[in-house]
Amino acid sequence: MNIRIQIIVVAIVVAALVGLINLIRRNKLQLKYALLWFGLGIGICVFACFPGLTSYLAGVMGIYTPINMLFFAGFCFSLAIIFSLSVAISRLSERVKKLSQEIALLKGTGGDEEENTLTEGE
Amino acid sequence: MKKLIIIPAYNESESIERTVRDIQEHAKDFDYIVINDCSTDRTLEICREQGIPVISLPINMGIGGAVQTGYLYAYRNGYDMAVQVDGDGQHDPAFLTQMADYLEKHQLDMVIGSRFIEKEGFQSSVIRRVGIRYFSGLIRILTGQTITDPTSGLRMVGRDVIKLFSERYPNDYPEPESVTAILRRGKRVEEIPVVMRERSGGISSISMQKSVYYMVKVSLAILIERIRSE
Repeated sequence: MNIRIQIIVVAIVVAALVGLINLIRRNKLQLKYALLWFGLGIGICVFACFPGLTSYLAGVMGIYTPINMLFFAGFCFSLAIIFSLSVAISRLSERVKKLSQEIALLKGTGGDEEENTLTEGE
Repeated sequence: MKKLIIIPAYNESESIERTVRDIQEHAKDFDYIVINDCSTDRTLEICREQGIPVISLPINMGIGGAVQTGYLYAYRNGYDMAVQVDGDGQHDPAFLTQMADYLEKHQLDMVIGSRFIEKEGFQSSVIRRVGIRYFSGLIRILTGQTITDPTSGLRMVGRDVIKLFSERYPNDYPEPESVTAILRRGKRVEEIPVVMRERSGGISSISMQKSVYYMVKVSLAILIERIRSE
């Protein structure tokens, strides 16, 4: 890994993290969902700044060049993030379904204002 | 002065009745409302049976969402003050009148009941105290103000903050972040010493594993809150 790629990688990650923080600051992104991206960014920086570590891991895994190790690790972690989003979406879908059902029940059977057979309290 | 007690409750069927009776006895000039955070036990049934005013959330939202619902209710019903009292009995309603008087007399935006000024009563575990001191220090660095109990849920707010919180409130571990948010807006926050009790039933909602996530997430949230725009 040469110094040029190291600088490029760190610069990109820092720019991305600043962008992330800015989005959170403007309430367009929840911190909870940004944490994994922070982890990814910091992880990539660590691998880029400590080529010894990257080389060692690359050797252990049988990857020829350290930079490939960095890309591979970044890719795997990104997959993990995407998967966690799938889980989050599943949970949100379920909650939206429950909310829709509650609203529908609150609205009652419609038409006849007096008839509201399934009132749930005040 | 219209005053509201917001009682968030998740699976507190063991303690909710006693908590409300306590409030009825010691805080007679306050209205109160239980926010049932989609409990799976008999919390809702007990409230309905005892005629306790309750708002039943259709999905579980956690302490942040539940308490924010309370603030929304307070705002829409024209309350001048709102105070959070947890459904587990840790907060002693005997202090509420004192807090209200203090808030009014000193024209404050928020009064926090702090366990750590007089250091009486339930002082929480050692680990928690270390965490609390850490957040205290972080908030002091960022806002210049010393809050001895930034995680205390026993907080009373005035109308401005009711509106602010009803619009924006953190979803989890909301206390330190929300205090930082209003301090950043120049709101006047002070603490008075209170005595808290150990929770009388049920289990606490913060487990060991979640503590790490808590520390990291809230620290980041407070830092970002400091540079936040509207």
